[in-house]
Amino acid sequence: MRYSVNEWTKSGSPWVWLNAGAVAICVIMVVGLLGLIAVRGLAHFWPADVMQATYTQGEQSRRILGEMVQDEMVPAEQLRGAGIQVPEGVEALRRDLLKVGNRDFLPADFVWAMDNMITERSHPEMVMVAERLEWGNFYGYLREIREAGETLARHDGYAKSEEYLNVWAEFQTRLERVLEIRDQILEIEKDKIGSINYEIERLRLQERSLELEQSTDAQAYADIEARRAELNADYEVLQQDLIDLYSQINRDSFTAEIADGREVEIRLSKVVRAFLPNNMGTGDKLMHYGAKLWEFLSDEPREANTEGGIFPAIFGTVMMVILMSVLVTPFGVIAAVYLREYAKQGFVTRLIRIAVNNLAGVPSIVYGVFGLGFFVYFLGGTIDDLFFPEAKPSPTFGTGGLMWASITLALLTVPVVIVATEEGLARIPRSVREGSLALGATKFETLIKVVLPMASPAMMTGVILAIARAAGEVAPLMLVGVVKLAPSLPLDGNYPFLHLDQKFMHLGFHIYDVGFQSPNVEAARPLVYATAFLLVVVIALLNFSAIAIRNHLREKYKALEM
Amino acid sequence: MTSEAKTHAIDIASMQRGDSNLNLADEQITLQVQDLRLSYGDKEALHGINMDIPKNRVTAFIGPSGCGKSTLLRCFNRMNDLVDNCSISGQLLLDGDNIYDRTVNVADLRRRVGMVFQKPNPFPKSIYENVAYGLRIQGINKKRVIDETVEWALRSAALWDEVKDRLHESALGMSGGQQQRLVIARTVAVKPEVLLLDEPASALDPISTLKIEELIHELKNDFTIVIVTHNMQQAARVSDYTAFMYMGDLIEFGATDALFTKPEKKQTEDYITGRYG
Repeated sequence: MRYSVNEWTKSGSPWVWLNAGAVAICVIMVVGLLGLIAVRGLAHFWPADVMQATYTQGEQSRRILGEMVQDEMVPAEQLRGAGIQVPEGVEALRRDLLKVGNRDFLPADFVWAMDNMITERSHPEMVMVAERLEWGNFYGYLREIREAGETLARHDGYAKSEEYLNVWAEFQTRLERVLEIRDQILEIEKDKIGSINYEIERLRLQERSLELEQSTDAQAYADIEARRAELNADYEVLQQDLIDLYSQINRDSFTAEIADGREVEIRLSKVVRAFLPNNMGTGDKLMHYGAKLWEFLSDEPREANTEGGIFPAIFGTVMMVILMSVLVTPFGVIAAVYLREYAKQGFVTRLIRIAVNNLAGVPSIVYGVFGLGFFVYFLGGTIDDLFFPEAKPSPTFGTGGLMWASITLALLTVPVVIVATEEGLARIPRSVREGSLALGATKFETLIKVVLPMASPAMMTGVILAIARAAGEVAPLMLVGVVKLAPSLPLDGNYPFLHLDQKFMHLGFHIYDVGFQSPNVEAARPLVYATAFLLVVVIALLNFSAIAIRNHLREKYKALEM
Repeated sequence: MTSEAKTHAIDIASMQRGDSNLNLADEQITLQVQDLRLSYGDKEALHGINMDIPKNRVTAFIGPSGCGKSTLLRCFNRMNDLVDNCSISGQLLLDGDNIYDRTVNVADLRRRVGMVFQKPNPFPKSIYENVAYGLRIQGINKKRVIDETVEWALRSAALWDEVKDRLHESALGMSGGQQQRLVIARTVAVKPEVLLLDEPASALDPISTLKIEELIHELKNDFTIVIVTHNMQQAARVSDYTAFMYMGDLIEFGATDALFTKPEKKQTEDYITGRYG
């Protein structure tokens, strides 16, 4: 026996098994992680059925209406301690978490209920769910549609009937009208009034800088004043349009019966989307799912980030990573070229290399502190003093922003690019350099025309690693420019189009904010998963595009394999 | 330096070695090596070499591995400058001017003294761009001039017919022998005076080797060629003059026919008859 174990060890197969096992565990962990966040996050957008049931607690019983979110087993002892009667011999009881919504009418929008006290469960087809601009989801039975306070249609039953469906159809038509008006309002407020405000602010700054220069150019002042009057006139017109639109959008309202039997009135202008989940087929649900997912990807957040989309965060993340790559590549490459090609190899270069490698290991928050102290306060403050005195005391670059965040992350990732580029340069065969030198090229020409192109795949490797590291960083960004909610995107139609001084949103920070700073943790949790999944997808996409570029370059310069 | 002085120098150098196989009186001299010593750090690799390389002739360096023949060749276009802690003393005259002079522009020198290496080292560019590389370095950008030179260079390297239809394809897709001829074309394109070939056929198959040797024969008309080779038959086939080196010394230098048939030195005879090396 001993002999055969010995043989088996010598044959090497235990090590093969060990290695394979380690690889398998890694793969399982990664797939498990992705699977968990994908399932939890993506399931959030599926329209869940709404349950109606009777909840009996002691003598009292009441009707409840809501979605089942999760359940858990609670030990009987704990329940007895909480004063709930549990029969002898029962070890544990199931407890359900229900999303009952209606935050404005009920004490809480999520309630825990003992599973054995829920009776008479049903899924009535006419229960409506309305997503609203505030107060979260609404659950109830549609009762009345009102136009300017006048009742237009009413239905009092619970069962699905043609009459009830007609009322529902009327409701949907009116909702569509409201949504159209809301789009118009949004366009006016965001685009038109936004640009006017932007230009008025620029005029104010121009005027202020004229004052600072103690200019006496009356013509210039008059021009500014004339332009401002023009803009104000435009603004008045738009303002009037807005007032009209608001009175139109507030025309309709509806009433509905909620779980406890009350009938409440809600303005249609507050509703984003309404549907009858129990009445939807799989096809309808799929359509609804697609619409919700698209909203998540393309819309702005509402309700303290717990509802709506996260487009500004996606945009901010991608924008920052691209700017970071653009900044880090030249710096890293130039530093690596100097270190590898020009610097005299010796004690000092070794010291610098060690320092660069260690720089990669500095905790990122330290970079954040440095970025805040040096870039934002010192450099930004100086830039403001020199170039934007008219905007003072409010800071332009003297506060966190897209540019400082990108530079801070570029600093964080520059060691990676340096190391990768150096390795790439070291791998270029001497014979190719000599071939170029022997033709009368100088060292610099050889570098530019032959060596650097051949080393470009290695540089891309460095950039890929830099992107992978930078896109996931959150801690330093919190100090140098990321905010919970940015009023506008850093790239828009107002001159100079790319606003490097603006604060921006970031997916990583969004996860932290929604998950841990939100007033409504239960409502936000699925969004945490969804955002986490999206962050992974965005980083993967950024990486894949960089990898595709690298592979293209590798194919082009595959002489390295000679 | 006058031609009289040149002749004088030759005489001294050959007399010191006692080369009676060498008669360069009728030749024009392109390169003169005068007491050239080269060390890597503390180790001296060339111990005072004296020789003259005649114009429009093929001069071969033979000798066992590590004898310094490649090192000497790389002195001619100052490739040894790239090696750390390499120091050189003595003189190396190209058309009478010391190439190790402080005022010499190394890039210009290398334009005049081209070099082909042991392993084909085409750039990862198209065939056309490989040949045009040296011209573009010189700042020549006129398409017509480049087109003409590329064709001429590729014809000189006997490669034109094989590649004229795929000039803009990657040079890395060619065979080893074609790549080596491409490298020769690339070197020829800048029209150097001297062509240094460092074992140009050692990585190639016999057919490609034959083509390279034929090519050397052709190129001799336009260029002064210095070739380092391991292969004595090759030296005998392609060269007009042969130098035998051993342990950093030039042992014997003479007309190829004479050196291979009746070497003056015992060491040379031992080497060419295969007794060592």
